[in-house]
Amino acid sequence: MYLLEQLINGICQGSIYALMAIGYAVIYGVVGLVTFTYGEIIMMGSFSAFYYFILFGDNLFFALIAGFITAAVVGIVVHKVCYQRFLDAPRYISLICTIGMSMFLKNFATIVFGSEMKGMPAFFAGKFIEIGTIRVGYMQLLIIGVVIALSLVLTIYLKKTRMGMKLRAVSQDKKAAALVGINVKTTTLIGNCIGCGLGGVAGILLGVYYNSVLPTMGGMAGLKAFSSMVLGGLGSISGAAIGGVLIGVVENLGIALTSSGLRDVFAFLLLVLVLVIRPQGLFGKKGN
Amino acid sequence: MLKVDNLVVNYGYIQALRDVSLEIKENEIITLIGGNGAGKSSTLMAISNLVKKTSGTVTFDGRDISRMDPDKIVSLGIAHVPEGRNIFKKLSVEENLLIGTITNKKISKKEINDRVEEMFVIFPRLKERRKKSGGSLSGGEQQMLAIARGLMLKPRLLMMDEPSLGLAPIIVEEIFELMEDVKKSGMTILLIEQNAMLALNVADRGYVLQNGEIVLTGTGKELLDNPEVKKAYLGI
Ligand SMILES: Nc1ncnc2c1ncn2[C@@H]1O[C@H](COP(=O)(O)OP(=O)(O)OP(=O)(O)O)[C@@H](O)[C@H]1O
Ligand SMILES: [Mg+2]
Repeated sequence: MYLLEQLINGICQGSIYALMAIGYAVIYGVVGLVTFTYGEIIMMGSFSAFYYFILFGDNLFFALIAGFITAAVVGIVVHKVCYQRFLDAPRYISLICTIGMSMFLKNFATIVFGSEMKGMPAFFAGKFIEIGTIRVGYMQLLIIGVVIALSLVLTIYLKKTRMGMKLRAVSQDKKAAALVGINVKTTTLIGNCIGCGLGGVAGILLGVYYNSVLPTMGGMAGLKAFSSMVLGGLGSISGAAIGGVLIGVVENLGIALTSSGLRDVFAFLLLVLVLVIRPQGLFGKKGN
Repeated sequence: MLKVDNLVVNYGYIQALRDVSLEIKENEIITLIGGNGAGKSSTLMAISNLVKKTSGTVTFDGRDISRMDPDKIVSLGIAHVPEGRNIFKKLSVEENLLIGTITNKKISKKEINDRVEEMFVIFPRLKERRKKSGGSLSGGEQQMLAIARGLMLKPRLLMMDEPSLGLAPIIVEEIFELMEDVKKSGMTILLIEQNAMLALNVADRGYVLQNGEIVLTGTGKELLDNPEVKKAYLGI
């Protein structure tokens, strides 16, 4: 029973990781580079909800929208500072710039928001449904639901809309995209914003799930997002989602069997093990 | 229609083009021939503004497009079918065709579908594989797809970089016939070809490029009869 409940905790936490990883995969796709600022994007999303709750009351739905927008706007800044200016420069310049941006945002948040941990309001506190003898919290269901809904919306957006098609084209081949008349710069910017927005929403879910926000929360969050994406296979959006859920489940089952201090050990152990066996990730293609 | 003046392109220390000038008139087929590394692809890339020009200008209908973004250049009606297999590997064959018109919001769904069907008439192999991903096609099929994607735009100027590369002779022949049809419909073509014989036969005029410079120009027939061209590119 205990293990089953841990499994559900794992799926819930894993779906947050999945959303973070999906956002990361979108960014990686259009930009063609890993980013070190993503964790801070997640943190900014989380803080935007924190202040939203204080200013406008505890409406989670609107807070999620506010978080998406805030993170997307920060994404524009990252884009202007780290990518746009270095289009013709070697790619590692942008990469290093995202490290600097990450440090800046973390310190900016510490100075402006304060370094101490802040509490998030509790939604559906103590409410749960019982399936047999297992309890599943309302909040957990909500989180899983939000992540599934956003994944579906993103999938439809990418598959069915003109902009979605452009995003997929730019992710696959920038030169060919330019040759069919796609504005690669604008499309990259939009993709980066969408990815960051999803990260921001994931940050809020993370904050609400743990009832806390912290300027330094981005470090581990970004790392988990990155790990989930790599686990699934670089750049594959569905792979990233599955990678996220897997990491969440393994973490929670792992700590159920040992101690909660070992959470991150299990996550990264899984990553290393999978990469040793399948360097391209679970769903990645060889040579990508 | 298109005019290239004193074009210079450098890749780092390598000078790929030094002072290339050429002109294409409405409804002509122009071919650019030359050995490997002569700078043919670089010329097209510079026209599409996919590489930085060190100096020189490109004008289209009298309008300077030298510094225009590549996507804007496409929207003026210049399609570039690049060398190699620059198709979208993870998009289906059909999506690869559809994306050829993605930036043209004016054409209707029906018109787009008509164009897709038109391409399937020209390239029946693509029709059989319409749902398959671009990456699963053979090299020759990918080449057909790249050409079809360029044609989907119904461009005013179609630039093709070695369209016959990797295609069976019978398909190559079809493509050259296609070019003549396309020309009849009013399109202008700038063609790069390894097969100089075929290219010069179909072309109104040609330019011979050597080490980044135009060394010869003339009508297709003149170049075919030119002893130097014969020796260097026709192997006669
Ligand atoms: N991306 C690049 N970086 C550095 N040098 C390049 C690059 N692309 C081309 N070159 C160099 O520029 C010169 C011209 O190349 P280009 O591709 O235009 O030749 P080409 O005439 O198209 O040859 P081919 O018939 O082999 O396709 C060559 O010397 C080539 O080595
Ligand atoms: Mg070439």
